[in-house]
Amino acid sequence: MKKISVKDFFEEKKKDFSLSLITQPKTINRDITSEFLNRPGLAFAGYFERFSYQRIQVLGETEITYLQSLSDEVLYNNIKEVFVYDIPCLIVAKGLSVPAQMEFLANEMNIPILCSRLATDKLFNDLRRYLAEFFAPSKTIHATLVDIYGVGILLTGKSGIGKSECALDLVERGQRLVTDDAVRITMIDDLLIGRSTNDFGHFMEVRGVGLIDVAKMFGIQAVRRNKRIDLQIELMPWKDNMDYERLGLSENFVEILGVRIPIIYLPVSPGKNVSVIIEVVALNYILKRYGYDAAKEYTNKLQDELNKKAKLRNSAVVKNDIEM
Amino acid sequence: MIRKKIVISNKLGMHARPATLIVKAATKYRSDFKIAKKDIEINGKSIMGVMTLAAEYGSSIELIADGVDEEYLIKEIAELFASKFGEE
Repeated sequence: MKKISVKDFFEEKKKDFSLSLITQPKTINRDITSEFLNRPGLAFAGYFERFSYQRIQVLGETEITYLQSLSDEVLYNNIKEVFVYDIPCLIVAKGLSVPAQMEFLANEMNIPILCSRLATDKLFNDLRRYLAEFFAPSKTIHATLVDIYGVGILLTGKSGIGKSECALDLVERGQRLVTDDAVRITMIDDLLIGRSTNDFGHFMEVRGVGLIDVAKMFGIQAVRRNKRIDLQIELMPWKDNMDYERLGLSENFVEILGVRIPIIYLPVSPGKNVSVIIEVVALNYILKRYGYDAAKEYTNKLQDELNKKAKLRNSAVVKNDIEM
Repeated sequence: MIRKKIVISNKLGMHARPATLIVKAATKYRSDFKIAKKDIEINGKSIMGVMTLAAEYGSSIELIADGVDEEYLIKEIAELFASKFGEE
């Protein structure tokens, strides 16, 4: 199970969420283990049925106003009852201050309270996005990721088949490189997002030449940091008897992190311009997304023609006409 | 060179699926393979070529194979037509 300590989260995201720590530093050593958030209003009112204590608890103006309306004794008891649970941390939005008793109890019971200057809604959404990304399933695969006319294409294939050279050719044709050799894939909202495994920039190894910096060499327009992966193209050596797709009526799929994306097996042979074919694959994908399928269109036309001619022949035979 | 006349016997005619089957079968062989219909003659190893013929149910075509394994090629293709490509 993935987790992040409140301390690491605070250090890392202090700026993004304008956070400050209200309680003593010793309280901060708890772990965040859930990607979800909770508004603990009902818990503070004494209702603990289905209380999602393991989530980060976000307090907005509603909760704070409610707590302020309670008498000292009730307030103390209610907060104590909530803090008995193993809560990762409380975050108060809008820069609101918490009742003194709450701060006291939090220090006593080792529950960290953070304060954010962001509005509750914004804090809630931003936090949710950050946590979803942090807890998202991910894996790293040996591939090259390129953006072709906005279509994210994952190039795979054995070492030395020419993925990098192909990406280089595509970049020269005005397409964009996301990352070469190792792609970190994260699943967010049922989409696959690919990026580099590090932040060093867009470096690439070209056999016989060495390392090059694609962004420096071709300009910033030739690269991008991350991209949704729409389809995979597996480059493979040309084999004479291999069953390659001829019409494109049937689609093959591959599953990455549980998400199904189309895969195309592309035979590569010397002197063949793979880059043009990859661009064509991307454009055909866009056409299909817009509802136009060339393979279907052509074969439907052919079937209509065949039916029409068969009918004509039939009526000719009935009239005892000569053979067509 | 071998030539063999065939009448299309499946109701739907030589549409995309049969065309694919023919081309896939033919490309396994080394011989040249052509299909003729009336005055049109196309390369039987090219999918677009085969579909261009638009050979409907009841029409007749001619298979033409030329090369070292021509007999086997014609035999397999003829069997495909005889099986009506698994259709009606």
